[in-house]
Amino acid sequence: MANGIIKVDSLVKEYDSLRAVDGISFEVYEGEVFAFLGPNGAGKTTTVEILECIRPLTGGSAKVCGYDVSKESDVKEIKKRIGVLPQDFNALEKLSVKENISLIGDMYDKHLSASEVIKLLDLEDKANAKFDSLSGGLKQRVGVAAALVSDPQLVFLDEPTTGLDPKARRDVWAVIANLKKLGKTVFLTTHYMEEAQVLADRIAIIDRGKIVALGSSQELISTYGGLKLLVIRKGPKDLADTLQAKFGQVTVNKDGDIHVKVDDVDELWRIMDILTTMRLGSDVELQTPTIEDVFLKITGTRITDEGDLT
Amino acid sequence: MRAITVFKAVTKNWLRSRAGLFFSIMFPILLLVVFGAIFSGVGGSSRYGLFVQNQDVTAEGSPTELSSAFVTALNSTGTFSLTEVPVGENATDYARQQLGPLGGSMRILIISEGFQDDLINGTMKVRVGICFDTLNMSYQYFEPYMNDTQKSMLEDGLTQMQQLNSSLPDAYASLTIMLDSADQSAGVVQSIVASVANAFNYELIGAGNVITFTQTSVSNTQFRTIDFYIPGITAAFIMTNGIIGLTSTNTEFKRRGIIKRLSLTPLTKMDWVVGCILSQTLLNIILSFIMIGVGWIVFNVRVIPDALTILLIFLGSVMFSGIGMIFSGVIKDIEAANAIGNAVAFPMMFLSGTYFPLEIMPSYLQSVSKVLPLTYFSEGLKATMITKFADGIVFNMAVVAVLAVVFILIGVKVTRWREK
Repeated sequence: MANGIIKVDSLVKEYDSLRAVDGISFEVYEGEVFAFLGPNGAGKTTTVEILECIRPLTGGSAKVCGYDVSKESDVKEIKKRIGVLPQDFNALEKLSVKENISLIGDMYDKHLSASEVIKLLDLEDKANAKFDSLSGGLKQRVGVAAALVSDPQLVFLDEPTTGLDPKARRDVWAVIANLKKLGKTVFLTTHYMEEAQVLADRIAIIDRGKIVALGSSQELISTYGGLKLLVIRKGPKDLADTLQAKFGQVTVNKDGDIHVKVDDVDELWRIMDILTTMRLGSDVELQTPTIEDVFLKITGTRITDEGDLT
Repeated sequence: MRAITVFKAVTKNWLRSRAGLFFSIMFPILLLVVFGAIFSGVGGSSRYGLFVQNQDVTAEGSPTELSSAFVTALNSTGTFSLTEVPVGENATDYARQQLGPLGGSMRILIISEGFQDDLINGTMKVRVGICFDTLNMSYQYFEPYMNDTQKSMLEDGLTQMQQLNSSLPDAYASLTIMLDSADQSAGVVQSIVASVANAFNYELIGAGNVITFTQTSVSNTQFRTIDFYIPGITAAFIMTNGIIGLTSTNTEFKRRGIIKRLSLTPLTKMDWVVGCILSQTLLNIILSFIMIGVGWIVFNVRVIPDALTILLIFLGSVMFSGIGMIFSGVIKDIEAANAIGNAVAFPMMFLSGTYFPLEIMPSYLQSVSKVLPLTYFSEGLKATMITKFADGIVFNMAVVAVLAVVFILIGVKVTRWREK
């Protein structure tokens, strides 16, 4: 097993009477993309800011790169080893992309050149553009560049795609996927299910300060996602009756679509045989559960695009 | 070294900000030009408007000789812009009409009918009285040396002069001046009119000057009011740049998450505070030299900054930037930062003797001024740039230096590098 670059044990954070983080424990391994998934107010940013050493913990312990976040003498060592894209990243608006990245880089004893990082993130065209002239997606890319300029072991990305349009979000995803190829460990917080599922090796689902599920997306889906669903668009009534008689778990929606819950691959093939025999002309679609289904199953709610619970 | 990196980045960001440049450099210069124009006399000296209604006219309707001479004397002071009110008009209504809808200061002088006659009669009575007194004093003094004939002649003469004096009417030439109580220049106008009337009096009775009056400067160089305003205005704007400018800039940095981003790096609080203060100090040194330069070129001021001036500007900038860092450390949003910055800076500007001499303020406000940092900075700059008064330089500079250190330390202490 890979080494744990982050080790969190029974971490607690309280604000007056509010327990924002409620005794969570987890480990992040070197070289993986670890997603902290949850709605707004779940405790994601609080946790990540404790790990970044800019927020004190109330209880428990947390180690980053082998150093204790609550020890003042260790904080300097941690800051040398991490790169951070904070939530709502901003930079000096009248400085250029290159100047802003250099500013962050110059805070470290050893760092990459701004040009290297700019090239890495495909920002060469915008290197001399003023930060305030950039689109939201480009600003986030500059933020990632600033997080990488110190050549960190561990990169924290706090809600890196919040507020971005779908195209810009995909661009940022490509950047994050590339970080893994560069051998960086990535700690990603997000409220986007798809983002966590596409990017993360492992996902921790956090709700009301507690981790309610932890594992790879496949593990979570297998454990909590439920059955696959075969959808036969506008299927004939007798087909629905046949399938119900043989397999059960069949429903027909108001559009006439037949939904069949499939337990395993054998069952799927047997259903397909029936469809083949009947020479059915309807469209057939196999729907697999997603992290969204996992979240729904565990918490009983969904997360909106804005990050709130429905 | 990280402080220098911060200094460079923040300064570059500021230099590229048009709004920052305007409020930090252009606005102070505009205000200097306005104040300079008021106090330097450049572009023609200002005159007080005065409406004059001369009711003392001859049967033909022309002003009498002496009333006309009085108006000429007023005009010759170069202080007034006189507007004649025709005889028969209601002076107040006429003046109001002339001033128009925007109003203005209504000052009216009325020379009453009979001014010339009363002036002649009054002058005669005074002159006879003086002759009588002089003769009487001579009589008292020389009486032991005079024979009876001489005494008798003088006594007759004195009696006749007394009779003449008694026969002359008690006449006083009448001038009426109408002023608005809200007019800040009313006192000045009244004093000048009274001075002209006195001079007229002395001239008519033939009195010469016994006291002569010479004005010299306490310093070797002849300074004007504008010279004294340059250090004051410079000090005031270094103060506002620190307390209002730096506070709002840093609060905005905080709101936009820039301070948070930097706090995630190995940069320390001390580096950040020192970098920001150095940037602000450079700005203030540039501002000071531009203001003095504008003063030299536009208003021909004679103040001369020396090494001590530059040192004091540096210390003053650090002191007020320190206050700015304290405010931005404790204030959360930009609206509150602006409100608090203004609430502190503006009273300080007016209570520190920057624009008005402390002597004209009530004693309790003078006491308040002694606890304001701007008082020491402003007085120190006047000392280094104008009076060169060594004790003043040393004392004020020492106070500013100590406060600068104290404010930096507090600024570092209250700057939040970690969330709660």
